[in-house]
Amino acid sequence: MKALDLTVSPAPHCHCGARITRVSYNILLALIPAMAMGFYYYGFDALRVVAASMGSAMLAEAAIQSILRKPITIADGSAAVSGLLLALILPASVPLYLVVVANFVGIVVGKQCFGGLGANPLNPALVGWAVIRITRAWAGYLDFDLALVNYETGFILQYPLAVLKAQGSAGVAHFSLMDLFLGKQVGGIGSSAIIWLLLGGLYLVVRGVIRWEIPLSFLIGVAVIAGIFWLGDRTSYGSPIFNILAGNVMIGAFFLSTDNASSPVNQWGMLVFGFCCGAMTVVLRSWSIYPDGVVFACLLMNLFVPLLDKIKKKQPLPPALSPVTPPVMSKSAEERSAS
Amino acid sequence: MGLRSFFGILPPKLFYKDVSAPVELLPVPEKITLLWYRRTPSDLAVGVGTEVETGQDLARNGRGPFVSTVTGHVDEVNTFLGVDSREYLAVQISADQKDNFDPSLPAVEDLSEAKPETLRASVNRAGFTALKSIIRDPRVWPAIDALIISVLDLDPLSIVNQQIFRDNTDQVQAAVELLARTTEASRCVLAVPDNLAGIASKVSTGAATVAMVPPVYPNGLPEILAKNCGAGLLMKTYDTGFAGNTVVVSLEHALAMVSSLQTGRPMLEKTVTFSSGKGELQNFRVRIGTPVGEILKRASVNPQPKGKLILNGTMRGYACFSDEQPITATTESVHVQEPSEVFFFQNTQCTNCGKCNAICPVDLEVNLLGRLSEYGIYDKCRGLGIENCVECGLCGYVCPASRPLVQFLTRAKQGLSEEAQEPAGMEEALECNACGPVCPAIRLFDTESDKEDSPKA
Ligand code: SF4
Ligand code: SF4
Repeated sequence: MKALDLTVSPAPHCHCGARITRVSYNILLALIPAMAMGFYYYGFDALRVVAASMGSAMLAEAAIQSILRKPITIADGSAAVSGLLLALILPASVPLYLVVVANFVGIVVGKQCFGGLGANPLNPALVGWAVIRITRAWAGYLDFDLALVNYETGFILQYPLAVLKAQGSAGVAHFSLMDLFLGKQVGGIGSSAIIWLLLGGLYLVVRGVIRWEIPLSFLIGVAVIAGIFWLGDRTSYGSPIFNILAGNVMIGAFFLSTDNASSPVNQWGMLVFGFCCGAMTVVLRSWSIYPDGVVFACLLMNLFVPLLDKIKKKQPLPPALSPVTPPVMSKSAEERSAS
Repeated sequence: MGLRSFFGILPPKLFYKDVSAPVELLPVPEKITLLWYRRTPSDLAVGVGTEVETGQDLARNGRGPFVSTVTGHVDEVNTFLGVDSREYLAVQISADQKDNFDPSLPAVEDLSEAKPETLRASVNRAGFTALKSIIRDPRVWPAIDALIISVLDLDPLSIVNQQIFRDNTDQVQAAVELLARTTEASRCVLAVPDNLAGIASKVSTGAATVAMVPPVYPNGLPEILAKNCGAGLLMKTYDTGFAGNTVVVSLEHALAMVSSLQTGRPMLEKTVTFSSGKGELQNFRVRIGTPVGEILKRASVNPQPKGKLILNGTMRGYACFSDEQPITATTESVHVQEPSEVFFFQNTQCTNCGKCNAICPVDLEVNLLGRLSEYGIYDKCRGLGIENCVECGLCGYVCPASRPLVQFLTRAKQGLSEEAQEPAGMEEALECNACGPVCPAIRLFDTESDKEDSPKA
C-alpha cells in the first residue's frame, strides 16, 4: 500500500478545546474584582504584596524546574494562581520577604516536590500561608488587628473573628451583616471582598472551571455546624450567616478548596470533602487558638483526598480469569514442601 | 459538532447529525481489496490468478466464510498491517464490471415457513463479518435474550443508518420480524433516534418495541444501547468477545441479512458517510473492498500533506496512512481533516480535574486508569473495571491536559489480555534468573545454570 504524507494518531481525532491554561486564566479573571477591592482599600501596599507574591511564585516554579531540568511550565498560569491566592489571604502590611519565602516553600515543597501540577496533595498557596502562620516569629504579621491598624478604610478596624473569639457574640453585634457581605471588613487583601468572591466563584462554576459540589457543600458544612454551635450557646458562638460572611470562608469555598489536584474528583467524594472542610472550619474557629480555621481545615482535608476518592460505585467486573500457574514453579514448591 | 457554549457547567454534548443526504451509488472499481483479520494465505481456497465469482466463499473448508464481493481474478495475496495496527490477510481482486453470482448460495425457500436453524445457517454462510465482531462465537446464537436493531450511527459524523431508515421505511417492519424469528430473541427492540420519531411512528413493528434514544453520542454504540435499552450491560471478556446475550445489529446490516435470506446473496455493498471540515455530509454506497481513494475522488477532496484521513469517525475511528485502504463491511464513515484541524495529544501529566470521570458513559475512574496504565500497572486497572470501557473516546475529547487517554486504556487492556494468555513476565524472568539462587521462599525457575549449581547433581 502506498503511504501518503498523512498524520496518523490514535482516537479521538478531535477535542472540545479545553486547556489547562484556560482553567488558570479563568481563575485569575474571577479573582480580579476581589483583588481590585483590596487595592482600593489598602492601596499601594496591597499591590506590592500581590505583585511580589505572583512574581515569586512563578520565579520559584521556573527556578525549581530549571534545576530539575524539567520543561518550564509557568505559562500554564497555575503558579500565578497560587501566588495570587496566597496574596489575597494575607494582610496588606505583610513584609515582602515573608511573601517570597512563603511562595518558595509553597511551590517547592508543596507542589514541585510531589511532581508538579496535578500531583500535589496540598494546595501550594495554603502550604505557604501555613508556613508563615506556624513560624513563631512571623505569626504576628498575620494578626489583622495589628497589621491593619494604620489604614484609613472607613469601616470598623477590628477583625470580626478575633472579636468573636475574645468577646463572644455580643462583641460582634455592631458588625452589620450587610457590611460584611459588601466586603467592608478587616481581612486579607482579597479574602474579605465577599460579594466579589461570590460572583467570581459563580462565574467559575458556570464556566465549568470548578465543580459546584465543593463550594456548595463547603457553605452548607459551615452553616450546619455553626448552626449547631450557635443553637447550643448563643453567647459565645456566631450565627451561621456571620460565620459564612466573616473571614476566609468565601475564598475558601470557591478558590482554596477547589484546587483540582488537592480535591477529590468523584461527586460524592467532593460533597463529603466540601462538607468536612466547612465543618472543620467552624470547629477550628470555635475550639482552636486561631480565630479562623479555613486554611487549616482545607489543608487537613487535602490529606483525606485519596481516601475520599474511593467513595465510588463499584464497577461490575468480568468473570475472573482462570489463574495460569507456571508449571515449574508449582513443581518446585511441591518438592520444597515434600522435602 | 460539539456543544461548548459559554456555560461549561454541564459536560459538552456531541449530537448526532440530523440531516438527510441521498445515497449515491459508486461504480465497482478496477481493483478491490478484501481484508480478513488474523489469517494467513493457507486459510484460503484460492491463490493468485484464480477466477472468482461474486458471493463465492474464498476460504478453505470450514475456515470461512470469507466472501468475494466482485467477479474477477485474484491479483495478489499478502498480509497487511491494518490501520487499527492488527494483522490482516489482504486479497486483491481485479474486478470485472459484470457480476456472475455464485450459484452455491441459494435463497432460503419459503421464508415464512423456514425453521430458525435454517435461517441462521443461511445468515452465517453469507458471511456477516460485521456481525461476527458482535457475535464472535457462533455458539452464542441459540441463546439470545435481546436483539437490538439500531437506527443510530456509531459516530456523530456518520448518517448511514439514519438515511437508510428514511429511505427504506417500508422494509423495516418485515426485517425486524424476520430477524426476530432468525435469532429467536425473547425481546426485540428497534432503537430510533428522537429526531426520527415521525418516521418511526409509521412503522408498525409487531412484537418488537421501539425505543426512542436521544441523539447524543455515545448513545448509538452497541454497548451503550444494550445498557440503555434495558438489556443489561454488554461486558467484554478476553477470549469470547462479549459475555452477555444481547446482540446489536445496525439497520443496514439487518436489511442486508434479510436480503441475503431472500436472494441468497451476501452483503456486497456498504454505505459510508463522507465528511470533511467544510461542506455537507455525503452518503456513498460502494462495493466492499473499494479503496477509500475512490470516495475521495468522487467527493473531489484530496487530503493535504500532514492532514488526516480517518475511517469510522473522529471519536472511535482510526487514521489511515494511505488512500488504498479498503472499505470493509464495518466502515461507517470517511473523514478528512486539514492539517490545521489535526489535534495533537500531549505528554502532560493529569491535573486531576475529573472531567474525564464526569463524562465517561460507563462511569469509570479514567483519571486513575490513565495514570496506572501510563506506568504499566495493569493489574490494578482490572479492579477498576477497565474491561467496561467502550472506547468511546469522550475522555480524550474533554481532557484539558490533552492526554491520550483512550490510548492509555487500550494499552492496559492489551497488556491484560496478553498477560491472560501467558503467565506474567515468565519470559524475562527465565532469561535473567537472578532471583533463583537467592530467593528465600521458593525457587521459581529450574534452569540449566541452576542444575549445575545444585549439590544433588
Ligand atoms: S473511552 Fe473513556 S469515556 Fe469512553 S468508556 Fe472508555 S474510559 Fe469511559
Ligand atoms: S480529564 Fe485529563 S487532566 Fe482531567 S482528570 Fe481526566 S486525565 Fe486528568
